Amino acid sequence: MSKKVLIIEDDKFLRELLGKKLSNVGYTAILAVDGEEGLEKIKKEKPDIILLDLILPGINGFEVLEKHKEDSSISSVPVIILSNLGQSEDIEKGLKLGAKDFLVKAHFTPQEIVNKLQMVLG
Amino acid sequence: MSHSNQERELENKEEELRKIRMAFLNILEDTEEAKMQAIEEKNKTLAVIQNFTDGLLVLSEDNKIEIISPLVEGFLKQAEDEILGKDIFKLSLEKADLKPLTEVLKKRKNKEIKSIFRKEIRLGEELFLEITVSHFRSGEKKGSLVILHDVSRDKLVERMKTEFVSISAHQLRTPLSAVKWTLRMILDGDVGEINGEQRDLLEKTYQSNERMIALINDLLNVTRIEEGRFLYRPELMQIEDIVDQVVSDSKETADIKKIKIKTERPKELLPLVMIDKEKMIIAIQNLLENSLKYTPEKGAVVISLEKKDKEVIFKITDSGVGIPKDQQSRIFSKFFRGSNVIKMETEGSGLGLYTTKNIIELHEGKIWFESEEGKGSTFYFSVPSRS
Repeated sequence: MSKKVLIIEDDKFLRELLGKKLSNVGYTAILAVDGEEGLEKIKKEKPDIILLDLILPGINGFEVLEKHKEDSSISSVPVIILSNLGQSEDIEKGLKLGAKDFLVKAHFTPQEIVNKLQMVLG
Repeated sequence: MSHSNQERELENKEEELRKIRMAFLNILEDTEEAKMQAIEEKNKTLAVIQNFTDGLLVLSEDNKIEIISPLVEGFLKQAEDEILGKDIFKLSLEKADLKPLTEVLKKRKNKEIKSIFRKEIRLGEELFLEITVSHFRSGEKKGSLVILHDVSRDKLVERMKTEFVSISAHQLRTPLSAVKWTLRMILDGDVGEINGEQRDLLEKTYQSNERMIALINDLLNVTRIEEGRFLYRPELMQIEDIVDQVVSDSKETADIKKIKIKTERPKELLPLVMIDKEKMIIAIQNLLENSLKYTPEKGAVVISLEKKDKEVIFKITDSGVGIPKDQQSRIFSKFFRGSNVIKMETEGSGLGLYTTKNIIELHEGKIWFESEEGKGSTFYFSVPSRS
């Protein structure tokens, strides 16, 4: 069965592009537009891995990470941050909250993002 | 006869006394006038001080506060009668932390600073002062005049400006990411086949977009420098490791232009340096990128590292186009680009050397260069060693 990837991203076009790329390489892409929907889908869909944006309407990405870390039923699902923030402070904060990696969107191609996913999924 | 003699003598004495009295009166009048003048002068001086738009502080040679202007009370959060005559280094720190101020004045005391000195300090959350210290001597008396100029408002505007650029830069990254991902997916065949001509055009568009992303990164770096929080985490390390990493990252670019990058260093390890790795990579990358960009095909770039006194010196020499003499004084300023390189149609934001200089200076280092147009350039920087 193909691995499930949850994409939490508020920009519609970016979300769809990435969803398409992931389907093309054989993943099942699940999409969420904000932190709230993201948290819901982590529990409901039980994805194998999460791609998380940080600047989101409502609950932001850091808060999603905090809730994810606290909840033992979902905390084992690996999270990769995919954001256009990227200052040392943000990166450190993200990693401290348990993210496996921090990717700046503008610095990675869809294929490179897929490679990172594969590395984390093993 | 003796009687009339006595009378004349008495008259003479009286006459003399009258003259003396007149003289005394004249002197008294002069003194009074001089006193009035002195008071008037003093009032004038006081009025100047009272109404001065900067904070003024006059210190005696033994650091006693002699005169202050009203603004100083606000800056130090202490009333005039609480501090006049007191040693500035022994003021109460209860109401305001005066450390930044006394640090500067201590340097003056220790004669570490020249006769006139200017520095920006921060007293409290929202108060930024530009402090100027100058020494004076009037007659036997020596002392210092300290001027405190309030630059809080300028600081606030500056901060808003950098914040604005920083937020805009982040916002710009999102559509640029979309363009990047779309083009890359088309080029990678994710949405079907494309022909050679289409590939060529899209590949060029992709490269343009990459340059735009790089430009935004440069802008972000500059604004972060200006916000003063650019050195995030300095740690002790070998600069060799950073140089190796940057050189290996640039190998592809160098190979395309058939430029050899040679690195030279002493056999034994260099002393450790205290650096922020991420920032030092940017600094060295900028220098190496410039060398590669402005050196013609099959040229040479040599990077060498050496220990000198209590410093580690980085040196990068290229056989590139060089910097015109008349422009050499401006090369570290923001947005500077040499007139010769603009004609070469090379891309550049003019922010690289500005950023590098700031990074080196934040590491307490120095940066300098030698260059001859048509022959090449050598850039040097030093960072203090810690072992």
